Amino acid sequence: MSAQLRNFTGSRVFWPVVILVGLIIVDVIAFPGFLDITVKEGHLFGAPIDILRNGAPTLLIAVGMTLVIATRGIDLSVGSIAAISGAVVSALLLNSPTPDNPWTVVQAVGIALILGFILGVWNGTLVAYLKIQPIIATLILMTAGRGVAMLITEGQILTLHSKPFEWFGSGFIAGFPVAVVIAAVVLILTMLVVRRSALGMFIESVGINPEASRQAGIRSRGLLLGIYAFCALLAALAGLIITSDQTAADANNTGLFIELDAILAVVIGGTSLMGGRFSLIGTLVGVLVIQTLVTTVYIVGIPPVATMVFKAIVVIAVSLLQSPTTNEKFANWRKDRRRPTPTKAIEPTREKVSA
Amino acid sequence: MKKYAAIAAFGAAALTLAGCSSDGGTDGATDGATAAAGETEAAAAGDAGDMVVGFAQVGAESGWRTANTNDIQRAFSDAGIELKFSDAQQKQENQIKAIRSYIQQGVDIISFSPVVETGWDAVLNEAKAAGIPVILTDRSVDSEDDSLYESFLGSDFVLEGNKAGEWVVNEYADADSVKIIQLEGTTGAAPAIDRAEGFIDIIGADPKFEIVASQTGDFTRAGGKEVTEALLKSNPDVDLIYAHNDDMGLGAIEAIEAAGLEPGVDIKIVTVDAVHDGMQALADGKINFIVECSPLLGDQLVEIATAVYNGETVDKRIVTEETTFTQDEAIAALPERAY
Amino acid sequence: MSSTVMERLPANSATRGTLSAGRRIITSPKYAPVLVTLGLFIAMFVSGGVRYDNFWSPQVLLNLFVDNAYLIVLAVGMTFVILTGGIDLSVGSVIALSAMICAKLLEAGVPAAGVIAVTLIATSLLGLGMGLMIHVFKVQPFIATLAGMFLARGLCYVISEASISINDPFFVSMASTRIPLGGSASITISVIIALLVVAVAFYVLHYSRFGRTVYALGGSEQSGTLMGLPVGRTKVLVYVVSGLCSGISGVLYSFYTLSGYSLTAVGTELDAIAAVVIGGTLLTGGYGFVLGSALGVLVLGLIQTMISYEGTLSSWWTRIFIGGLLLVFIVLQKVLTRRRD
Repeated sequence: MSAQLRNFTGSRVFWPVVILVGLIIVDVIAFPGFLDITVKEGHLFGAPIDILRNGAPTLLIAVGMTLVIATRGIDLSVGSIAAISGAVVSALLLNSPTPDNPWTVVQAVGIALILGFILGVWNGTLVAYLKIQPIIATLILMTAGRGVAMLITEGQILTLHSKPFEWFGSGFIAGFPVAVVIAAVVLILTMLVVRRSALGMFIESVGINPEASRQAGIRSRGLLLGIYAFCALLAALAGLIITSDQTAADANNTGLFIELDAILAVVIGGTSLMGGRFSLIGTLVGVLVIQTLVTTVYIVGIPPVATMVFKAIVVIAVSLLQSPTTNEKFANWRKDRRRPTPTKAIEPTREKVSA
Repeated sequence: MKKYAAIAAFGAAALTLAGCSSDGGTDGATDGATAAAGETEAAAAGDAGDMVVGFAQVGAESGWRTANTNDIQRAFSDAGIELKFSDAQQKQENQIKAIRSYIQQGVDIISFSPVVETGWDAVLNEAKAAGIPVILTDRSVDSEDDSLYESFLGSDFVLEGNKAGEWVVNEYADADSVKIIQLEGTTGAAPAIDRAEGFIDIIGADPKFEIVASQTGDFTRAGGKEVTEALLKSNPDVDLIYAHNDDMGLGAIEAIEAAGLEPGVDIKIVTVDAVHDGMQALADGKINFIVECSPLLGDQLVEIATAVYNGETVDKRIVTEETTFTQDEAIAALPERAY
Repeated sequence: MSSTVMERLPANSATRGTLSAGRRIITSPKYAPVLVTLGLFIAMFVSGGVRYDNFWSPQVLLNLFVDNAYLIVLAVGMTFVILTGGIDLSVGSVIALSAMICAKLLEAGVPAAGVIAVTLIATSLLGLGMGLMIHVFKVQPFIATLAGMFLARGLCYVISEASISINDPFFVSMASTRIPLGGSASITISVIIALLVVAVAFYVLHYSRFGRTVYALGGSEQSGTLMGLPVGRTKVLVYVVSGLCSGISGVLYSFYTLSGYSLTAVGTELDAIAAVVIGGTLLTGGYGFVLGSALGVLVLGLIQTMISYEGTLSSWWTRIFIGGLLLVFIVLQKVLTRRRD
């Protein structure tokens, strides 16, 4: 038990969990009923449920982003892909004579997801085959993609009136919001696939050393293509949930800056932007930290002009606490206080070694 | 070989770009054909047919803004006047670049919606030096030298906040205490700052009105929903929500309904803008009062531009005609609404 | 392919020598991307002149400098950071913060020289903070500078939510003074400052030990340490340089707009990164030119000018157009610099 505890306190996810707990404590102090979950009209209702539901799109995108970052890449276009997906589904439903027919909704959703996948293939081709740097390759789609989304909606906010589609954003499965269930299922499936199969190892290998991986026989280009396509697919799914949640397609604002939140969540969760080892559980914690942070601002009543500074302080605190240097000092301090108990191994600092 | 082929390909692409007609890029009818048609009508429309107007729009950040753009483009094409349009993606530096470019292109009139009030003196002085008159729309500049622009056509955001405040004062004339949640627009944006100021000016005098929480929803539906959802939990006995635009109000409606309450009845809602979806909600009784902020400035702008081009004097400050709507007024007005 | 070209070269060995040397420069991985960018810039300018009236005038070219002086300085700072393999996302927000500090202090009556000094010190300190986070605490540059971005933007809102106008005579004169260059062409003083910054950066990067260490860091940090270069100090210093450049850029920006506005320069860091990449610098570090970055800024400016002259692109087509042109640039650069075997 104490070995497990020591493992946990030494892992990168320890401090984010501490910060998360800290934020929740602040919230409970400001509003004692914060953690109350009641049942209303047959479904769960409460602030924590809101956090889970509002964080679901970010989690979906962050899961895809984790795999992309593990390959030493980055995907800035996820927000625009979410916007395109929302715009497409709305355009289809608004032009359809039977928007309340579940089959129509299934078709529209399917088309939006396939389109997202294709856009991911586009990104993957630029990165894997044309060897364009991921930040620039995805910046192109980020710029042009939002333009495409606005083109589809002609800059207007398209309000939807399709009951089956609203189910994504406002429906419930077994008492939990649909969005939360979808995000949880995607997270669990992804974790199973990458850990139970060799896929996870291949991804980490490509991230650590693409050239060596290729020579070891891993089809790194195909793998990269697939990873970017998967990330885009999840972004499209997130876009559908966001659009359903606000029952409107807003090409301007859907997914705006969500890529920053996703990247932040991934890094808070312990995955390095240099590629290599990744942690999906860490990403989950990262998303929860970010979403709870947003809610804390509302609950505590931090004035809007101070919100950004508050977020900055939390991000700086998390990154400083997570840093290997702090962990080293902390471990040394514990070693000094508890001689002659054996100390845990100090995590070697990551040095970039170019191939 | 590949290299030369690539250069040739790019050259071909560049020439195609140079040669292709402008139809590929427009959504409105502002292509060369209309300008030509305008010239034949020049005799009937005064000198307007030769006029070239450069318009630097803020961006397309909301449905309101797009309606504004569409209306302006429609009005100018109806009048047969050539309109050069640029979109600044909400950046001041892009607007400055566009205006400088219009000066360089030698347009007859420059018009723009300043994304922010400050910082235009340098470029407006250049326009003045080049002899090109400037017309402001939607928002003003705070230059002390008002010879830098001919006219400012737009809404008064503070007045909009006042009107919202006045309705609230009347509505709650008999109440003992009124708890209000304010959904602010984007932090730092002039409409948000002014609408908050206008509202406080009216209700601040009476201590029975208490703004229990004020957070930003960024002028979006998602923002309005997320903020309201959280604030309703920590302030369950709120009476009224004042949102700086319809979209945030619409998001608030969803949050209120999810909490099992009735918007417009259990919690009253006041918003600004009067876009179609907002008016619909008002007609349905979910919103209680809307202050209009009209984006349909196109015809008025054409009128002013033509007058300035013909050397007539125009009013320095022209306030857009805007009104307010209650539920019955909304039901009556809805069929005619253009946006 | 190469043999056929060699056969067709003139028999004169001196000419052949110069030509093959020239060819080597053009296709070398170091210079090729920048030269390609220059070629594409010229091609775009030519096609613009063909299509639009009043395009082929010197003032149009000079306006590229006038309107983008602040971005050129920003791109110079970003080049230093990217050459070491890092990145700085805070630059846009720091511009806003600098302009806001200037506006607030000037409003309070502090003299212009003091205001500029305070601003530059403040932004350099912010850069130092980020550099220390990155080097001492091993926080990844993306995250450290993202935190810097939030902090700078947050401080803007705290200093003033509403925008503040600048009326100080020195700033106003810097904004409106024009230096005539013959005919009707003129530039502003900011352009001179920007070009000075580029020149200083060029000298530092190519002729000083600091510059050599910067390039070495991008190549391989380990090798740099083994060679005895002051790796740690340099790593922190590049972020100070970036912070300083962002501060200078912010001051130039406040000359440009004469106001402090908290919502300004959102996303400008991406413009700076795009300019640096178009200019031939690799994001993995080790390769790149300050002159290339300046050229990248001009390319972005030219794209915007062309869109403005076109006058018919709606907001969404503008974005699609910019994305498309960026794509063409990057792909062509890749294709044209691929090493021949």
